[in-house]
Amino acid sequence: MSDAGLPASVEALHRVQQDPHRLGHRAHGARDPRPGTGQGATGPAAKRILVGYGFWIYLLSDIVIFSCFFAAFAVQRHATAGGPTVGDIVDIPRVGWETAVLLLSSYTCMLSFAASNARNLLWTQILLLLTGLLGLVFVLLELQEFVDLASRGITPQRSAMLTSFFGLVGLHGVHVTAGGLWLATMMAQIQVKGFRPEINHRLICFNLFWHALDIVWIGIFTIVYLMGAVA
Amino acid sequence: MFGKLDLSAIPLSQPIPLITSAIVILIAIGILALVTVRGWWPYLWSEWITSVDHKRIGIMYCLLGVLMLIRGFADAIMMRTQQAIAVNAPGYLPPEHYNQIFSAHGTIMILFGAMPLVLGFMNFLVPLQLGVRDVAFPTFNQVGFWLTASGALLVNLSLFIGEFARTGWLPYPPLSQTTYSPGVGVDYYLWAVQISGIGTLITGINIVTTVLKMRCRGMDYLRMPVFCWTALASCLLIVAAFPILTATLAMLTLDRYVGWHYFTSTAGGNPMMFVNLIWAWGHPEVYILVLPAFGIFSEIFSTFSGKPLFGYRSMVAATLFICVVSMLVWLHHFVTMGAGAAVNTFFGISSSIIAVGTGVKIYNWIFTMYGGRVRFEVPMLWSMGFIFTFIIGGLTGVLLAVPPADFMTHNSMFLVAHFHNVIIGGVVFGIFAGTEYWFPKAFGFRLHAGWGKAAFWCAFIGFWVTFTPLYVLGLDGMTRRLQHINFEEWRPWLYVSVAGIVILVIGVICQVVQLVVSIRNRDRLRDTTGDPWDGRSLEWATPSPPPFFNFAVMPNVEGEEAYWGIKQKAIETQQLSPEPQYHPIEMPINSPVGIYTAFFSTVFGFAMIWYIWWLAIAALVAAFAGFVVFAWRDVHEFEVPAEEVARVERARRASREALLERLSSQEVGS
Amino acid sequence: MSDLERDQSLEGSWSHGEHDHSPGDEPAEDAGHWIRNANLGLGFSVLLTVAAFALAGSDIIYPPAVPVALIVLAIAQMGVHLVFFLHITTGPDNTNNVLALVFGVMVVFLIVLGSIWIMDHLTQNMMPMEKMIEMQP
Repeated sequence: MSDAGLPASVEALHRVQQDPHRLGHRAHGARDPRPGTGQGATGPAAKRILVGYGFWIYLLSDIVIFSCFFAAFAVQRHATAGGPTVGDIVDIPRVGWETAVLLLSSYTCMLSFAASNARNLLWTQILLLLTGLLGLVFVLLELQEFVDLASRGITPQRSAMLTSFFGLVGLHGVHVTAGGLWLATMMAQIQVKGFRPEINHRLICFNLFWHALDIVWIGIFTIVYLMGAVA
Repeated sequence: MFGKLDLSAIPLSQPIPLITSAIVILIAIGILALVTVRGWWPYLWSEWITSVDHKRIGIMYCLLGVLMLIRGFADAIMMRTQQAIAVNAPGYLPPEHYNQIFSAHGTIMILFGAMPLVLGFMNFLVPLQLGVRDVAFPTFNQVGFWLTASGALLVNLSLFIGEFARTGWLPYPPLSQTTYSPGVGVDYYLWAVQISGIGTLITGINIVTTVLKMRCRGMDYLRMPVFCWTALASCLLIVAAFPILTATLAMLTLDRYVGWHYFTSTAGGNPMMFVNLIWAWGHPEVYILVLPAFGIFSEIFSTFSGKPLFGYRSMVAATLFICVVSMLVWLHHFVTMGAGAAVNTFFGISSSIIAVGTGVKIYNWIFTMYGGRVRFEVPMLWSMGFIFTFIIGGLTGVLLAVPPADFMTHNSMFLVAHFHNVIIGGVVFGIFAGTEYWFPKAFGFRLHAGWGKAAFWCAFIGFWVTFTPLYVLGLDGMTRRLQHINFEEWRPWLYVSVAGIVILVIGVICQVVQLVVSIRNRDRLRDTTGDPWDGRSLEWATPSPPPFFNFAVMPNVEGEEAYWGIKQKAIETQQLSPEPQYHPIEMPINSPVGIYTAFFSTVFGFAMIWYIWWLAIAALVAAFAGFVVFAWRDVHEFEVPAEEVARVERARRASREALLERLSSQEVGS
Repeated sequence: MSDLERDQSLEGSWSHGEHDHSPGDEPAEDAGHWIRNANLGLGFSVLLTVAAFALAGSDIIYPPAVPVALIVLAIAQMGVHLVFFLHITTGPDNTNNVLALVFGVMVVFLIVLGSIWIMDHLTQNMMPMEKMIEMQP
């Protein structure tokens, strides 16, 4: 190849052409890739990892949606337009029950995953059913809370604070409901198809989803209810 | 029964939408008829519509994007001509119509033109460059594409049934609340953008997982092509920012549909919160668009300079730097809203700092050219046009980043010129450069270079002629989105701008002619080797177009620029690497779930827009049912027998032998 | 044959015993490990949750400190969930998971704290909405 018309020394040019990324620094790239660390250099990961990680990334995006609703609540927690304040609408005992129920459902969910790993169909279904029932109790308690508030004329159309309250808590409730629907579908699938790889992958995803919902609930009951009652 | 929908929704009294709709409907019917008569449906259905192949999906994304770019460009032509004519005169577009046009222009160009094109490039290239067979979730990927198409369809439906938003491409309340926008326009926007936003998020999740967890053996993080790094950064931003858009538009939807008070002007609502949240999405969005374009340029600069990219690690660092800092600058879009000096200063400084990342990249590109043997093929022309255009656009951006200066230039034509400067100079030039560069890989024949050069020069010159007057007008005090102009002094500049639009139109015609001529002459322009540009990354190791499984045997990568190393070794040893052991390959099967989901999403969106509640519920139930049926399937892969793999690979090796001979004889000759 | 080895639908596998992990995932052979994690997780969560409920609206600690204490307890509870239920660790097989989590947390903080900061300043500086409407002709 012709190097005509280039001002740098031939040797320097040679070095640049042959040693483009090192630029005088220590050599790199010659290390053996560490296997099993998911750094990807030992080939594509197994489907189980891909599904779990992909769902984890989706969950992060869902958490960002929740954070927007949290931000709206934080900004508008005092915008009561002359109506009830947060302290007026929170019912601590009921929230205590909701928290206990959801936490317990997270526990049973994890146990169901352990059972599915052990390929125990009966216990998996029992524990999944428990998880679903506890989730249902949670949603019913929340619905009862909303109906209660509505009967006192406390609706989201009343003020910005109420809008953001109902929006945040409602969004969480919608997620739990959707999770319940998903759970029911999966219980049917496990019953019919058994523990195939795809089913196990979906159970991993469901676990992630359910635990993430509990994590979001920790944020909600602390910031909206407990701090709302204190303020 | 039909909610708000009745015959008055059809714009019988407005000639422009009416005639346009009629023409578009006729063309659509014509195309459908042609396909039916020629018996192409089975082919289209099995090879494209139900395909889960990332390459096919990428091409369909790009096709959607190009079509929508044309529609957006038509809006632009109307806007520029209206402004030139309407100096102390009414012009030909009444305000209600003009407002819809600039809203549609922005929405379509960004969300349905540029985004699909960028997503298309990432979809097509990332698995090929990483040496793997597909993205992490191929069927999910297909659903994402069809949802984006569904959103695009909804936006275009607003032209013939109903109206579009009149709020600008970001529907600020209170204008976008039902009090001031009681029609269906804002609802069209909301549902179209929400549905396509889900599609975009799907691609984001897919690419992040693919890049982080699915690379071929030996491909360390620091051995990936820079395009994959920029795709990763862009998709991380998608995952981080698009949920903000979803949440904010959902809040506005709740305000409009059930009378909630997130952003209303009464009952404690806060319209400024909308502006804050929407720009927390809006700023990362533009980096989502431009980062892959930067990646495209990185590939092109190194290939056409015959040198490895200069400063690979600093490129990676700059990309990640831009990714993080782009989430720290969003207030610069509403400096004048009144947050005060402290807040404005913070964001002004962060907005200036983010330029450092791009500066590093530009220097790296220039240094890549230095000392190399530069070939001025069409992709390189676009790249050099980009360097010039984007530098100036970026500089005007840094000027806008200074809060006191922004108080004068906010929402003026200076701003409009700036963001078109960077989006056209960065994203659009990048897309055209990338199209020119990877077209042979995707379709098996090159594009005609002569028409390509004509298209470039028209675009480059046309861009500057159109937008330089807008910089001047902005500094003269002209605000954006004016339907009529009261200052005679501005007329000459507006005329120059229209002249520029004419040049751009010629450029678009050149692009179309280029495509037609290339297809006509495809045998002469055929890419027989798979490596028409002397490429450096793994996609050039495959035939053009690649087989559906990409690689017969996944490569084992030993250094940076994987394919370049393979090529140099082959030239040195005068032979290809030894023939590998062929194994059967498992590939995902096609599925109609994407188009099924999108169909019912469109119906759902349309029903929600027109308040046809029974239809909305029915569509939701149908979509869920389809999803359950899909999730119930027993078979999701098929096996490609080893003999088939061997056959395809041997054909590839034969063409590579020919290429090797040619390259070796060139070496001997020089 | 464990699940991990059976569904290698793509080429590339690691020798037995070296596994990458997505969050909430454990190889089958450690099933007993799961139950211990679940019990510990439940135990700690219950403790922290009860503490939070007890603190709210009581005089156990200096009252103005209660919001801060509640937040600390909430973060602790989230940590318990992440470690015991989702099994996020600091091992090299979890690096990607931790990085993704950190990225997500950073975005959440930016949005929530950023919005609070910005909107607070806007409210201080700008005329309230009701007054603005009153001023309209």
